[in-house]
Amino acid sequence: MLTADLVRPFLLRSGNRLEVQWLDESNSLWLQTASDLITLFQHMRGQTRADWEAALVAYEGNRTDYLIVRGLAKVLTDAATFAPRATPYAPGEVRRRLFERGPIFATPEVCHPHTRTEVMQQLAAEIGTSEAELEQALFADRVEEQLLIDTGPCWTPGQLLARYNLELARGVLYTATTVRIEVYDGFKDLWKYLKLFQLMFWGQPLAGGGYQLDLAGPISPFVRSTTRYGRAFAAFLPAVLLCERWSLTAEVYTHLCSHALIYHLDHSSPLRSSFKASGLYDSRLEREFAQEFTELQEKFGSERNGWRLEREREVLLLDDTVMIPDFVATHALDPARKLLIELVGYWTPTYLRRKIDKVRAAECRHLLLLVYQGLNLTQESFADVASEVLFFPRKPVIKEVLTVMEAMAERLYGPLSKPKSTNRQ
Amino acid sequence: MPAPFAWINGRWRCPAYVYGTLLPWLAQQHITDQVPRWQPLHIMLLDTRELYDYQQAALAAWEQAQRRGSVVLPTGAGKTLVAIYAILRVNRSAVVVCPTVDLLHQWYSRLRSAFACEVGVYYGGEKLLHSLMVTTYHSLGDLMAEYGAHYKLIIFDEVHHLPARAWGEAAFMAPAPCRLGLTATYPTEEEQREARGRWNLDELIGPLVFVQRMEELVGEQLAHYRTQRLRVSLTPQERQLYERDHALYMGFVRARQLPRRFGGGWLRELMRLSASDREARTALLARQRVLHLLAGCQGKLQAVESLLHEHSNDLCLIFTENNSVAYTLARRLLIPVISHETRAAERKDILDGFAERRYRAIITSRVLNEGVDVPEAKVAIILGGTAGAREYLQRLGRVLRKVENRQAVLYEILVRDTVEEGRAHRRRKAVKAQQQEVKRADG
Repeated sequence: MLTADLVRPFLLRSGNRLEVQWLDESNSLWLQTASDLITLFQHMRGQTRADWEAALVAYEGNRTDYLIVRGLAKVLTDAATFAPRATPYAPGEVRRRLFERGPIFATPEVCHPHTRTEVMQQLAAEIGTSEAELEQALFADRVEEQLLIDTGPCWTPGQLLARYNLELARGVLYTATTVRIEVYDGFKDLWKYLKLFQLMFWGQPLAGGGYQLDLAGPISPFVRSTTRYGRAFAAFLPAVLLCERWSLTAEVYTHLCSHALIYHLDHSSPLRSSFKASGLYDSRLEREFAQEFTELQEKFGSERNGWRLEREREVLLLDDTVMIPDFVATHALDPARKLLIELVGYWTPTYLRRKIDKVRAAECRHLLLLVYQGLNLTQESFADVASEVLFFPRKPVIKEVLTVMEAMAERLYGPLSKPKSTNRQ
Repeated sequence: MPAPFAWINGRWRCPAYVYGTLLPWLAQQHITDQVPRWQPLHIMLLDTRELYDYQQAALAAWEQAQRRGSVVLPTGAGKTLVAIYAILRVNRSAVVVCPTVDLLHQWYSRLRSAFACEVGVYYGGEKLLHSLMVTTYHSLGDLMAEYGAHYKLIIFDEVHHLPARAWGEAAFMAPAPCRLGLTATYPTEEEQREARGRWNLDELIGPLVFVQRMEELVGEQLAHYRTQRLRVSLTPQERQLYERDHALYMGFVRARQLPRRFGGGWLRELMRLSASDREARTALLARQRVLHLLAGCQGKLQAVESLLHEHSNDLCLIFTENNSVAYTLARRLLIPVISHETRAAERKDILDGFAERRYRAIITSRVLNEGVDVPEAKVAIILGGTAGAREYLQRLGRVLRKVENRQAVLYEILVRDTVEEGRAHRRRKAVKAQQQEVKRADG
């Protein structure tokens, strides 16, 4: 996380908007600087944090772009691991026992008969260590005495510059009071991170299949423009970058003026996420189901061609939580005929209970639940659920699933108006 | 629904701080109250100090007001003891909030000694949760966001800081029904009303319940002291570095006529320039080297050593300009150091050890400031300072509080023929002006 002094100088105001001066990731000066810093940092392995800082100051010299150098160094430092030197005796204990014998002076006098060397030798002997080790242990727990034990990821200069730009973007959000996001894909990861960072949100569907989310914290409705949740917004930003089509608009308070400025970002920005996107399928069940479904479709060809299966295209907004069904099935001939499919596979009792509660709350008539009965779940559990529920002893039989889907669609959307040429008997 | 509730995002919601006032209504409606997570404290009062009459009266007034509201006591009149008794009476999980990490450490140490129980601390450097907690205004918001419902009583030390925008939010989001504000300077109604975007203390904490006036206490806590200035010289080598860097930096400042063009703000201008102008950057770096050199020059370190010799039977406090000098001295002379890095438990050990004369001296880098108790030091040594007049005055007051018959001494060590002499001169003028102001105000 970049500190405010490393972010502020790169903010610009343009009317009501806030702009960030990104570092040009293809500029050879910055690539060289990044490369120098990476090499320097690699060489500092095993040395103290204070050594690293001194090396950095030496590297900076009288460069006037020292704020960028420090920002890049901060990114390196944050991703690395420092740890206190292992000492045979706890530094606090060493201090207590040494300082009880102080103050001590280089040359002995009447009231101070012992020299520093004598005191050190004495204590070293008492606790069975050497003077040198004692000297090292004395302040080994200070942050600046920590040793660089792991330099973190193997950065390329380009990666370091990219990450620096991401950190600048996050830095802007520290003082954001509201954040509005529009997303059109990648919901599952997005919701995972919303939960992780404990953000409250108000969501609503957008025309065109996306969602608009207003992010806030629990006191936001009562307190005008609180910046309390800025850090959480900042932490969350990389999750938005995992989506392919998105935009973000934040109200931000800066040192530039007394009122809030508008900060806008979208998928045209060169920022890259530092989070890993999860795979297409969460589980083997989902993968197998999708595969069998598609295979069956292909086998029957256009004869039975009803349904196209897509992953997690739809979000059910339920009060202050959401549910993202595993699949959305859309009819090829009539895109308005849409069914949601959720697999209930491996589970723990709590997980299942929450899922049932969510489904009940959804009262969603176009939701089809496929439950793997190998699990000891009785059919009564779903008795009052508005949705269609199918049970299978081992795994769903796709033919049966398709039959139920047709029936559901018929009930919900009426008969499918088919072109004359197709005839299904 | 009663007033504080609003229909927001599919629920009736209200800010947490009104919780206490809702209790009768909740009971009346037979609504199950699932808010409290606080615990009884297992404490026993070990502090043998008795409450003065005015402290008794303050507590009674607070109880009368349903354990909500602020108490005003002059500095040094024993606010901490009032807080300790408030905790004892409520006897449920409690948090004390104070403005600085230094005060936090002091509270930690007082509460530990008073109750001999575990005390938690929650701030940037350390997060340790217990039923009895100390935190800073800065960290209170995070603590409340996570554990707000775990505390029944919040004590706001120096409560006049609370109305600051971000800090007030923390009190706003806490359900604690019992709240005690402590201060020596309660903001006037006008100040509270006029401050835009700030919080109202009456609303967040409760009313002003008790005021003890300064005049009735004056006289008891006055102390006598003298100051003595010592001048040391740079070694020839240090002198050479000093002259080179000083010339480099002053040369630039003069050439660009910064003071003439920018008045008092010229240093800020130099800093601004240094992000684009290489000469300015060079000058600024030279200035930093000058300050660094002066803060820890050989002469000063030796002077500390000889003063410690001279006062070998007195408790001494040593103030340094920065951490690096503090730790250098600590290592060299084997004296405990208190800095912002020092954890609460060690800090308590150091201050206790000092009171018991287990440690004869303490080194600190500018942290023992506002309102922190240092028991009966008789000698203070200040290693040249860039600190402002206010800080200087407070340092004086610190050492000199509660000194018995003997006169305390405050040594100020300056480097001869350097910028420090000019600075000390300006500071003395500022102090004198302040003292005169105080006199006028008292008269």
